[in-house]
Amino acid sequence: MNVLVVSLSLSLSLCLLVCLFLTSTAAEPWPETATLYQPLKEDQILLSDCASSLAVQAYLRMCGLPVQVAYRANAEYMSPSGKIPFIHVGNQVVSELGPIVQFTKAKGHSLSDGLDDIQRAEMKAYMELVNNMLLTAELYIQWCDDATAAEISRPRYSSPYSWPLSNILAYQKQWEVRRKMNAIGWGGKTLEQVYEDVSQCCQALSQRLGTQPFFFNKQPTELDALVFGHLFTILTTRLTSTELAERIKSYSNLLSFCRRIEQTYFEDKTS
Amino acid sequence: MGTVHAKSLDPLPMHGRDLGVNPDDLVEPPEMEHEAKQEILENKDVVVQHVNIQGLGRTKEDLLGYEISDVFHAKNLIDVMKKAHVARQKLLRLGIFKEVEVLIDTSDGTDALPNGLDVTFEVTEIKRLTGSYNTMVGNNEGSMVLGLKLPNMLGRAEKLTFQFSYGTKETSYGLSFFKPQPGHFERNLTLNMYKVTGQFPWSSLKETDRGMSAEVNFPLGMTNHTLKWEGVWRELGCLARSASFAVREESGHSLKSALSVQCLWGVCFALQELAGYTGGDASFLKEDFELQLNRRLFWDSVLSASLWGGMLYPLGGQPSCIADRFYLGGPTSVRGFGMYSIGPQSEGDYLGGEAYWAGGLHLYTPLPFRPGKGGFGDLFRTHFFLNAGNLCNLNYGDGPRAHLQKLAECIRWSYGAGIVLRLGNIARLELNYCVPMGVQSGDRYTVFL
Repeated sequence: MNVLVVSLSLSLSLCLLVCLFLTSTAAEPWPETATLYQPLKEDQILLSDCASSLAVQAYLRMCGLPVQVAYRANAEYMSPSGKIPFIHVGNQVVSELGPIVQFTKAKGHSLSDGLDDIQRAEMKAYMELVNNMLLTAELYIQWCDDATAAEISRPRYSSPYSWPLSNILAYQKQWEVRRKMNAIGWGGKTLEQVYEDVSQCCQALSQRLGTQPFFFNKQPTELDALVFGHLFTILTTRLTSTELAERIKSYSNLLSFCRRIEQTYFEDKTS
Repeated sequence: MGTVHAKSLDPLPMHGRDLGVNPDDLVEPPEMEHEAKQEILENKDVVVQHVNIQGLGRTKEDLLGYEISDVFHAKNLIDVMKKAHVARQKLLRLGIFKEVEVLIDTSDGTDALPNGLDVTFEVTEIKRLTGSYNTMVGNNEGSMVLGLKLPNMLGRAEKLTFQFSYGTKETSYGLSFFKPQPGHFERNLTLNMYKVTGQFPWSSLKETDRGMSAEVNFPLGMTNHTLKWEGVWRELGCLARSASFAVREESGHSLKSALSVQCLWGVCFALQELAGYTGGDASFLKEDFELQLNRRLFWDSVLSASLWGGMLYPLGGQPSCIADRFYLGGPTSVRGFGMYSIGPQSEGDYLGGEAYWAGGLHLYTPLPFRPGKGGFGDLFRTHFFLNAGNLCNLNYGDGPRAHLQKLAECIRWSYGAGIVLRLGNIARLELNYCVPMGVQSGDRYTVFL
């Protein structure tokens, strides 16, 4: 009996603490000066970073949270996790879509509240699919394909720096990405296999989307933001070959999905 | 020095009755001879015919010719001894000999002059490879330092040094090559390659420098000049997640390629550095000077006055980098304030400034009542000080009058007293009671230092 009372009081105080914590972080409203940082748009940013950044921007617009975009050559090194993009809100710095979604949820803004548990699990699964397939394919094409690396990725990545630092940093990044690809088993793949993987991923997404406006009901979720970010960037970025864009264009509902989100949330944006 | 045999045994005269030999009779004439010879040697002109160096292994002889050439110009014996001593000092300062012994002897051989001398330097060369191993503990980090030195590598007093430090947090290493000009040891060339990491908790910043430098030292009249080119790849990062955003904005890589000129003239030291014109991202002109005067007063006390100042002028319209700016504060500059904790700051992280000046007036006296005099007590001194300084960013659009005005407002200063313990040339411990004045918002200060 005593043990029960003690455990009950402990759990109550714990709940109180958690509530206090949540209310304290949620207490601050979303400031006007919230800023999103990414590498320089014209000369420096690469496909994968651009896709991630666009996904976060789409998500924040869907939540109705205003954010300014700032361009810095050292954005990658400023980020606490080393990944683009990151947002500076008040005096907090949060990077990548997953943690940013958690952060906005703590502030009381969420897009996936209306989903039940099964749908939420499904959403998480599809987000993992996009991250593991689309994002990895983008990294592979950028850094493991010699033609793209030499013509596009290395010159762009090293553009803010002077020689010989530019060469050192570009090759360092290339080795790092190639090591990561080998570690996850993509090192042995050919470009054709990667294109096939992208096609399969798009097919799964296309099937899930069907004729609906968004992936879940009529409301957008973070999955919509993520898919939009990646597909739109692939369709609008010039690479050494147009094969990747063509594969996506073969799924017409994905194309109209991208166009719809661009018109709804980015109509003031000139792309 | 050759032995002078003062005695010469003449056959004893056979006297009849005077059989007892008076020892004074026998000794006196030789003494007179000895004294006469001494006088002669001092004033006598000598000619140094040969100067030899024995014990050379890998050292090349042409290097040493310059150091010992002066001995040939000696005119008398005392002069020979003096010049030989000076030559010995010169040979030792090359850093290639463990010991040098001098032997002066009369010359012999077919071409020996009656007043000729031979001077021989017997040298012991340092080993080809020396190593050292230390462990260091400090600042929450332990490290193992391994040093390798190759003195006199190619026979002309070149020196190659390698140092490697392996710590719990960081690793750093450096390779250095030193070559003096034969005959003019003060003119030398040093080439360096290094990787150094540093942590600066007052700015929540950590810095990794990988670079190389080439410097040339030469004396010019009374001053010693150094010309240096340095190329450094700098990587800056936040030391903690709680670093301020201003420091976070400085994270990343940059390349600095700078030429600098350093002058050392007695009590005055000046440095000018120009970056950006030989490549690299950083572009600035930096000036720094230091002046120190010491004067001994009555009762074994010493009055010391020092003045430092500097300015950083960014070129090319880019803002200056946190790694290039000046920092002020702490037990080495303005006592009473935290380490490098004066000046512009953001959320508790000190960002440094582009212009500064600092001055100090110190009086060192022996301890009152002189306890332990002549022994341990002499290592302690009482210390009265007055420090002042200012660190700020200048608006380079305004004129020099506005700059002086800005440096003169908001001066931080402090005064106090304490005890200093000097442990040879290794360390200096101070315990002071400080009264910081002129503290501006954002500065960190302490009372006991």
